[in-house]
Amino acid sequence: MTVSAPSEPMLAPRRRQWGILAVVAVVLAVIGYLAFSSVGNALVYYLTPTELLERGDAAVGETVRLGGLVEDGSVSGPATDLTFVVTDGKNGIEVHSTVAPTRSFREGSGAVVEGTLGADGVFDATQVIVKHDENYEVPASGDLPSDQVIEPGDES
Amino acid sequence: MIPSIGHAAVLIGLGLTVYAAVAYVLAARDGDPRLNVSARRAVIGSFVAAAIGCAAMIVSLLTHDFSVRYVAENNATTTPPFIGVISLWAALEGSILFWALLATGWASLLLHRYRDRYRPLMPWVGATLATVNAFFFAVMTWPGNPFALTAPMAAEGNGPNALLQNHPFMALHPPLLYLGYTGLAVPFAFGIAALVTRRLDEEWLRVVRRWTLIPWTFLTLGIVAGAWWSYEVLGWGGYWAWDPVENAALLPWLTATAFIHSAMVAERRGGLRIWTSAMVIATFVLTLVGTFLTRSGVVASVHSFTQSAIGPWFLAAILLALGGSLTLLVWRLPDLAGGDRPSGTVSRESAFLLNNVLFLGLTFAVLFGTLLPLLVAATSGDTISVGAPWFNTVTVPIFIALLFLMGIGPALPWGTASWSTARERFTVPLGLGVAVTASALAIGLREPTSLGTLGLATVVGSIMVEEIVRGARARARSRNEGPATATWRLATRNRRRYGGYAVHLSVLVMAVAVAVSSGLATDRTVTLAPGETATIGGYEITHDRLVVEPLSSDARVIETRAEVTYAGPQSGSLGTALRDYPNSQAAIATPAVRTSLAEDLYVTLLASDQATGTVTLHLFVNPLVVWIWIGGAMVGIGAGFAIWPERRGRRVTVERPQRAPAAVTIEGA
Repeated sequence: MTVSAPSEPMLAPRRRQWGILAVVAVVLAVIGYLAFSSVGNALVYYLTPTELLERGDAAVGETVRLGGLVEDGSVSGPATDLTFVVTDGKNGIEVHSTVAPTRSFREGSGAVVEGTLGADGVFDATQVIVKHDENYEVPASGDLPSDQVIEPGDES
Repeated sequence: MIPSIGHAAVLIGLGLTVYAAVAYVLAARDGDPRLNVSARRAVIGSFVAAAIGCAAMIVSLLTHDFSVRYVAENNATTTPPFIGVISLWAALEGSILFWALLATGWASLLLHRYRDRYRPLMPWVGATLATVNAFFFAVMTWPGNPFALTAPMAAEGNGPNALLQNHPFMALHPPLLYLGYTGLAVPFAFGIAALVTRRLDEEWLRVVRRWTLIPWTFLTLGIVAGAWWSYEVLGWGGYWAWDPVENAALLPWLTATAFIHSAMVAERRGGLRIWTSAMVIATFVLTLVGTFLTRSGVVASVHSFTQSAIGPWFLAAILLALGGSLTLLVWRLPDLAGGDRPSGTVSRESAFLLNNVLFLGLTFAVLFGTLLPLLVAATSGDTISVGAPWFNTVTVPIFIALLFLMGIGPALPWGTASWSTARERFTVPLGLGVAVTASALAIGLREPTSLGTLGLATVVGSIMVEEIVRGARARARSRNEGPATATWRLATRNRRRYGGYAVHLSVLVMAVAVAVSSGLATDRTVTLAPGETATIGGYEITHDRLVVEPLSSDARVIETRAEVTYAGPQSGSLGTALRDYPNSQAAIATPAVRTSLAEDLYVTLLASDQATGTVTLHLFVNPLVVWIWIGGAMVGIGAGFAIWPERRGRRVTVERPQRAPAAVTIEGA
């Protein structure tokens, strides 16, 4: 009669559960804070040259991704000091890049550049991304394969 | 002819899986053993059908049958046989065919192996797996037909994806990943079966832990192989970019890892049962989400896959799987509640709970970052991307917390830990960690993440080693064995525990390698004329000459190669190239990687001028990267050790009789 089961005091589990729940709540709050506090800076807008120009002065200094085609005949300079024009057919923006593209990119090909538009209207690229695309189609005679055309809003 | 056989096989597979699903449900309700047997045969039949479908596709690829659209898009007359075979998973339709092969293979293996066991559960397991497989056959029947024909047959195909051709790793990475993805349907099926039958005791968890660990191991190896492939092929000097495709593979891995841990609490202490069931469901749904994200084209990715009409199908499947299983879960909540034994705030249960909260937090963070571009596009119409810096800010602290828990969790006792035991166990490791950090600081390591990870890894590693040594020493003393024998016997008699230790130690190795390689990597871009030299991190790189020539193995591929000699901690010569494939608009980088245990010298050709022979090279010195791959392989070995059936042992004698009757039946037959 004197020997009871080696169980713990009745009240104890409930009190302890609150302890661990508090820890869990703190952990979730920290994760939530980390996620939301930094998200404003992490978002990079993808714009076509026309969209970027429409933003006017507000666009200067903001990190964006600019996507379009590399205009024919616009590429000049060595790979580490490259100048070219990205166009969406309506407008073109001159891009200057000191980082060489990760792949040889060509005039007329699609490119996405990340960087900021300077006050002088030249886009300073910190990254030049060329799509590696799995989307091959049997080329019909005469026309371009579809993967050579980057449509506005079509991300890299 | 061959494509028609393949198409017929897909249709038969659809019929068989639908039949199996219906028959299993009827068998579960009536308990008619004949229905059970015929449903199982139908599942095995669907595996045979998928195998015939895959064989038909491989034959079509090898014979360059361009009447099949998939072959025309992914094959050319010059494609070597090896590339032809692995082109089975080069694009969407073939991937789903291959997927169906693996999924029906897992289902057949499981249902055959457990045909005489877990009787109340198995019909529902079979019904769930057959339903999932029927979905993939349905996708191949309607929106993603791999054997769709092209009207005017092309004389020449488009050729395989240049990236696929460029590295043999493409033969390894997708199958490993798919084996993981498809295998994770098994724990889901058991979870559904346990919920439906209300047999929510420890039995299903015991089966499912092993059956989660197997696909988990494949998924882990697949992810590591993918990172390795990215590092060896893409030429950007890194291995993880938080690309949506990478995240898609990581998401189910995170919840599966959470499940493996919470199932231990549910099995041993009866707690976290609702949570554990939810993790199983989440893991499966996330495999569907991952496929949906990468294959429907809704999320922009650096390696954008073929867009197709399968998107709505997968969306419907996700909503159905999520809605159906959550309804079932809520319905069974009264059966799941309670049952856990009391535990203290500082206990192994708490460590497991915290581990799961962190893994779930990580899952939500990665999912949020991956889906945010979709949400923003849907609400405001803007196209945005969430960069790697955001993912690093959010996930690195969670990973570090998990690393910390990995050390203290297994060292804490079940129930309640006293502060004095905790102090006793953790004082020496903490001291060691401080000492190592201080000496690293004294040597000149200043980078905070590397420094912190190194210190933390020392603490965690020494706690683990101390655990192993203490156990081995106790056994050696009581049984009078040598230390090596004692350790080995202890490990082979407690495979799950010691396999877990091995996995944890491997993860530590990988964590240190990731932290140091990302914190201490150096790179620079140089433009060199022939004969000129540049230096990076103790290496002297001399550009010898520029060569432009067709590839010896395929003359249609033009290789532009810089031949370079390097001297320093490693010396020799290397060629780093850009390859122009006829069907690829961009040249494919072929970086040269010279690996030593201490560091990799990594050289990518960015641009070249044929007239002068001048090249622009991106040079990297990446320390310790090879240890990520070694650590990944060690995770596989450790997990394999844990999965391997135990031969003898205290705990196993309980599980053992489960296999014996099957053996007796075979002998008697």
